[in-house]
Amino acid sequence: MQTTHQHAGGGHEHKAAPTVEEITDFEVLEIAVRELAIEHGLFTAEDHRRFTEWAESIGPAAGSRLVAKAWTDPAFKARLLADGTAACKEIGIDWAEPTGFGTPSDYMNFRVLEDTPTLHHVIVCTLCSCYPRPLLGMSPEWYRSTNYRRRLVRWPREVLAEFGLILPPEVEIRVEDSNQKCRFMVLPVRPSGTENWTEEQLAAIVTRDCMIGVALPRPGRTADVHPVHKARHPVHSSPSMRAAE
Amino acid sequence: MKRTKAPHARKSAGNAPARFKVGDRVRVKDLPNMFYSRTQMYARGVSGTIAACTYQDLIPEDEAFNQEGRLEQYYIVRFRQKDLWEEYPSEKDTLQTEFPDRWLEPA
Amino acid sequence: MSQRSELRQQYEIIGSLQPAIHTPQNWNYEIPSALYRAYMHPPHDVGGQRDVPVHYEEKEEEQWELNTYVTCEVLAWRGVWNAEERRRRADNDLGYTLYLGMPYYGRWIWAAARMLVDKNHISLTELLEKIAEVKSRYEAH
Repeated sequence: MQTTHQHAGGGHEHKAAPTVEEITDFEVLEIAVRELAIEHGLFTAEDHRRFTEWAESIGPAAGSRLVAKAWTDPAFKARLLADGTAACKEIGIDWAEPTGFGTPSDYMNFRVLEDTPTLHHVIVCTLCSCYPRPLLGMSPEWYRSTNYRRRLVRWPREVLAEFGLILPPEVEIRVEDSNQKCRFMVLPVRPSGTENWTEEQLAAIVTRDCMIGVALPRPGRTADVHPVHKARHPVHSSPSMRAAE
Repeated sequence: MKRTKAPHARKSAGNAPARFKVGDRVRVKDLPNMFYSRTQMYARGVSGTIAACTYQDLIPEDEAFNQEGRLEQYYIVRFRQKDLWEEYPSEKDTLQTEFPDRWLEPA
Repeated sequence: MSQRSELRQQYEIIGSLQPAIHTPQNWNYEIPSALYRAYMHPPHDVGGQRDVPVHYEEKEEEQWELNTYVTCEVLAWRGVWNAEERRRRADNDLGYTLYLGMPYYGRWIWAAARMLVDKNHISLTELLEKIAEVKSRYEAH
C-alpha cells in the first residue's frame, strides 16, 4: 500500500507512483515503446518533447479565426479558397510545423469547403480519422468512432439530425470522405444577426462542430455540448506518466 | 520555417501521366482487394465527376509498405448519393472523395 | 463493384463478421467466393456499413494517449516509418477482433510496437523484458 510522504522543509506532498492495480496495460506498453525507441536512438527525448509542445499548442481557435477572417475580408476568402495551406499562414498557422515538412499525419494539402445557402458540407474519414489538426486540434472521440464513419456517408441527414441539424431537402448535403492526403474544413455560411460584428465576436460562434459540418453557427451558440468521458490519468495530472521533460 | 527534406524522400522513375481534368466523367475501378487499400468498397464500379486535381504522391498501397513507386496525380471525385446507395432518398445530395490516377478510368 | 447487389451482399457478410471470443473449431476446405472477398476486405473500410444511432461523446485525453500520438509521429518524423504504414498496421493488420475491440490509441501503440519488432529495431524478447521491467517499477512496496 502506497503512502504519501513529506519532503523536509517543504511540507509539500508528491503523488505516489501508481500501483500495479492503477497502471494500465496501455500505459505500460507506451512507456516500454518510448523508452526502447530512445535507447535505440530512433528518436530523442528532446524530439518527443518538441512534438508534444506542438501537439499541446493546437486547438480549434485557429480554425475559428480563419472563418471569421474569411467572413469579413472577401479578398482573404478568395485566397483561402484558392490555396488553403498558404492562406493559413496569414493567421499564423504554418502547415509545415513542427518538422519543416508538415506533421507526418496531416501533410500540407489543406482545402476549405465553402458552404452556400443551398450547399452544406460535412466531413468524415471513413477509413481512419484524418482531421485538419493544425486548424482544429485533436479530433473528437465520436469522429474517430466506427459508428460515425459507417453511417455519415450513407445516412448523412439522419446523422446530422442526431446532432440537432436538420436541413431542408432543397439544400444539397455534400459529404467529404477525407480518405487521402487532403485535409478539409467547412467554411460555414455567415449567419444573419451578425452584421457589424468584430472578428472576435464572429470567431466565438464558429465552434469545432461547425467546422466539421455537424452544426451551423448562430448568434448565442458558443459551445459544442456533448457528454465528456473523464480520463483515468488525464494529460498533466500524473507526473509519473508524463514523458521526459 | 525552413522546409527540410522529408525522411525517405520518394524516388520516382518519372511521374505517371495525369489522365483527367476537372469535369471529366470517371469510373472507380474495382481492382482486387487484399491487405490494404484506400479505395472504398462503396465507390468501386461507380461513376462520378472530377471535382478537383489535388497533388501528386505515391499511391497508398505502395507507401503503406514503404515501396518506392511513381508519383501519381490525385483527384477529388464527386458522386451523386443516389448512384452510391440504392435507397438514397434525395436527388440533390452528393459525396466526394479522393483517388489516385490508377484507380480511375474514363466513364 | 459494378453490381449494387454484390455490394449489398458484401455488406451482409462483413456486417456478420463480429469479434469472436470463442468459436467451435470449423475446418473449411472451401469457401464461397463472396465469403473469400469478405475475408480479404480491409477492415478499416467501413463506410456504408449499417450501424445504430448512439450517444456520441467526447473524451478527456489520457497522458499515455498523448504520449502515444507523439511517439508515433516522432517515429515517422525520424524516418522509422510513415503515417500510411501506421494506418495500414493499426487499422488493418491487426484483424477485426482487435480492430473493433481495442481502444483507438491502443491500436496506435500496438502498431508501433509491432513495427519495431517487424523491422528488427528491437527484438520481441527485448520488448517483453522491457514491459516486465516497467510493470515491476509500479509494484506496491
